[in-house]
Amino acid sequence: MPLDTSTYNLALLRVDGRRWNELRQQKGQLGVQPSADGSAYLEMGNTKIQCIITGPNERDTKSTSSASTAPTSHGLGATVAVSIMIAPFATVDRKRRGRNDKRLQEMQTTIASGLAATVQGQSYGPRSTIHISLNVLSQDGSLLACLINAASLALVDAGVPMTDYLVACTAGSTSSYAAADEEADPLLDLNTQEEQELPFLTLATLGATDKVVAMVCESRVQLTRLEGMMATAADGCKGVRDFLDGVVRDKGELMVQEGAIGRGEVVSSMDLD
Amino acid sequence: MSSTSQHLLLSPAELAYLHGSLSLITPGPIRPDGRSPTQFRPLTAETGILPGTNGSARICFADGTEAVVGVKAEVEKTPVPPYEFVASTEGRKGHSSAPKKSSRKSKKTTTEDEEISMDVDEDDEEAAGVNEKARVSPDWVELSVEIPGLRDDDSGTVFLTSMLTEALLADGEFVKKLWINRRFHWKLYLDIILISPPLSYPLPLLSLTTHLALLATRLPRLKSEADEDPMFDDDWAAATFLYPRQDTTSAKASNKSPKQPSAAAAAAPASRPPITLLVMAVGDNIIFDPSKEELAVADSAVAVSVAEGPSSETEPESESIPATSTKRNLHLLSVRTIDPPSRLTPPGVPNSVNAAAWGTMTAATPTTTTAATAPANESGAAKHPDARVTETEDVVGVWKAPRGGAKFGMLGAMVAKVLERGGVAEEVLDGLEGVDLT
Amino acid sequence: MADRRRINGPVGATTPPIFDKPAGPAAAKTRDAIRKIFLKTGITPSASGSAYLELENPNPQRPGNTSLKLSCTVHGPRSLPRSAPFSPHIILTTHVKYAPFATRQRRGYLRDSSERDLGVHLETALRGAIIADRWPKSGVDIISQKDDEGWDMMNVLSGCITVASAAIADAGIDCVDTVAGGVAALVCKDDKTAPTIVMDPVVAEHDSILAACCVAYLPTRDEITNMWFKGRLPGADMMVYDKLMEKSLVACRCANRVIVQELNETVKKGQGIS
Repeated sequence: MPLDTSTYNLALLRVDGRRWNELRQQKGQLGVQPSADGSAYLEMGNTKIQCIITGPNERDTKSTSSASTAPTSHGLGATVAVSIMIAPFATVDRKRRGRNDKRLQEMQTTIASGLAATVQGQSYGPRSTIHISLNVLSQDGSLLACLINAASLALVDAGVPMTDYLVACTAGSTSSYAAADEEADPLLDLNTQEEQELPFLTLATLGATDKVVAMVCESRVQLTRLEGMMATAADGCKGVRDFLDGVVRDKGELMVQEGAIGRGEVVSSMDLD
Repeated sequence: MSSTSQHLLLSPAELAYLHGSLSLITPGPIRPDGRSPTQFRPLTAETGILPGTNGSARICFADGTEAVVGVKAEVEKTPVPPYEFVASTEGRKGHSSAPKKSSRKSKKTTTEDEEISMDVDEDDEEAAGVNEKARVSPDWVELSVEIPGLRDDDSGTVFLTSMLTEALLADGEFVKKLWINRRFHWKLYLDIILISPPLSYPLPLLSLTTHLALLATRLPRLKSEADEDPMFDDDWAAATFLYPRQDTTSAKASNKSPKQPSAAAAAAPASRPPITLLVMAVGDNIIFDPSKEELAVADSAVAVSVAEGPSSETEPESESIPATSTKRNLHLLSVRTIDPPSRLTPPGVPNSVNAAAWGTMTAATPTTTTAATAPANESGAAKHPDARVTETEDVVGVWKAPRGGAKFGMLGAMVAKVLERGGVAEEVLDGLEGVDLT
Repeated sequence: MADRRRINGPVGATTPPIFDKPAGPAAAKTRDAIRKIFLKTGITPSASGSAYLELENPNPQRPGNTSLKLSCTVHGPRSLPRSAPFSPHIILTTHVKYAPFATRQRRGYLRDSSERDLGVHLETALRGAIIADRWPKSGVDIISQKDDEGWDMMNVLSGCITVASAAIADAGIDCVDTVAGGVAALVCKDDKTAPTIVMDPVVAEHDSILAACCVAYLPTRDEITNMWFKGRLPGADMMVYDKLMEKSLVACRCANRVIVQELNETVKKGQGIS
């Protein structure tokens, strides 16, 4: 179904009724899987991800072939292994993906190298692996960004030391490349419909800073528009970071209320601020 | 089997203790988590978690294993063999369109309506006869199982897939539900995903999740008639359940008045998707829903699939004895033995032959070493009487992996225990019925 | 240069073929016997144990209706590769493979899911019979190849179990007993007549099979190592199920007799040579 971009200029509202710089509704949960070392569930709009962390544990000698790995701390720290599974029912039309899907492997590599730069892996030693398995239950745009955010959240639940949240967000442009519209406005957090029509990029930053950890842009876009898109995405990342932080803090509050931890000890040692 | 559940590290002494406490007869088996032999582990379940699917469910067992099932349906053209088309066009025109439609409509109206329409459906099926049977194909259902860390062509995954498919297709009733008209049918994709690492044998979890997802599955209401290209109602609220609902009160009412067999038959519960239960035997005890540790000492394990069906037309005897007919009409769909992982556990060494415990084998050590290095026709056991005793006879408190199979009577008892009235299968079905279907 | 344009007659004298009349419709199979089994061990010299099994063909005159032929090879016990972790038991690997020409539709050399499924069943059946702890740190590969067409899964499985059992005995691997497979089915002619239970069902002979059961059985220990039942039984009662199981046990015993006889003959032959 082609996306009707002509109406945007009239009301400045997108197909799902958002403004240009609005994120979709987000929902996050920590510790959804009691048997895992760390787990998180994240919804951004209709994209729903469940992330499970196993480890850090000793590296598997017969490593599962499909996961992509990246070493932390220049090979001196733990290895981060990422495997993505997209449920066949996640998209509108059922589609079964093999484990050796090249697009999946590319995303795995991006996430693994991005997280490897954020995780303080030297405390575990080079022979250990942190295995991150991401299950995509429902897919509606900004998949890579969502996967990175979910993995970030689950790593917090697993208690893996990181310099900051690794957060990601997509940004697009209101008209297609062919329109050659130099004045096109940037858009934040695209859904599938918009992704199919408009140029977009995924940007991952380290927390609220403007330090870019990963950027993926696979569509054709005029160079003049790029800066605006990047700035928008970086702003979106700040919003996502605030949201993730809120989820973690709520979980912490809950644990204090339930008496699982004392108020002073953990908050000071984790140094949330 | 060993590949689908992670290897368990229990010493022979622990295994022997566990086996001993599970095979106790007088107070009954003592399970490590204090459950009764027929008790299930608590679980949390929810349905309708994914709006993008026709039906979905998620179940989380207390041990942390979790599965998600999504059902998606697509309209597919039924290949019509040319000779059959000529033969069947006359005389059966529109036979199915009218009653099908009425049965779909009835969900919005009262239950009496539904009963009537169900009767119509049955007549309809009989009228359709052999032609219809030939047209229905088990290929209309595609089931896939995804276990983390396993390839999807791993034999363990394939075994799970074929077991779940087999249960679904065993009675041939399920695919009939997917029939739209003579030219089109629904193709149903069931995708079963184990989210957590496989901590225990995942079969019961996957089966129960599939059951729930199928219960929650809805197909859009058909608007077109007869053999036209199918057109569907856009309103999802009007979509019909694959397994039609009914008022539980009416079913209970019919139970209270069993003197009218016809009424009881009409209000008998409609068919329900199958469930597969894992049963194991230790000694003479039959234990349900074994955990991983318990399965490690099982003498034998069986997966039993049962489903609840309408009191079908093939059973005249059930009407003759309406007094015993209870709420559920279970029937057996499939049984498979499962290779218990206990066969792969390391055996213990009894003191009598343990050199370290001043056993009698000290003198004979050279013999056994040669036998071990060159396992020819004569093994150490044949030469040394003590070794033979320890190999063939059970020593109390020393673990030995089970050898041989299960007795005929034991297998029968395990299946009977699943099917018995008020038994575990009914209990599980009752529990699942309580899940809110959204 | 030879004349290749015509099909020339044979050079020498020949006798014209005389076609015998077909023996007429085979006598209706009595319901208390299984089809005849031909079993021979030691047919593959390169394997440590092997066996070949062929089932009698009840309707030889029907076109495209051939009998079930199975061959099985056992490789091992042999030491595990160095990279494999320690195992206190023998590692048993089973493969069931349809020959590419076994079915009406040609199959590829890659194993499909039904073959893997049968492999798991076969493994369960054999693992119960083998005395696994006498062979630590070693592996056995059992490969059953099915050479002919047109049979359903359960009959194939029971044949595989029987032939693999003979091959394992041929390889000299310790077993508690020779395990044998047998099938029984609940069949029904049409909707009017009551369904009956038959042993060793020939699928083509029956209009509809309601339920079937395949069992792997150890006769001297009276134990079942593998059971596979599927289908729909009328009513919830266990009577039919029990009867079905009993019938398949009878089929197992029959098959086992064939194994034992063949093994005895092999032993006698061996003694005669030495």
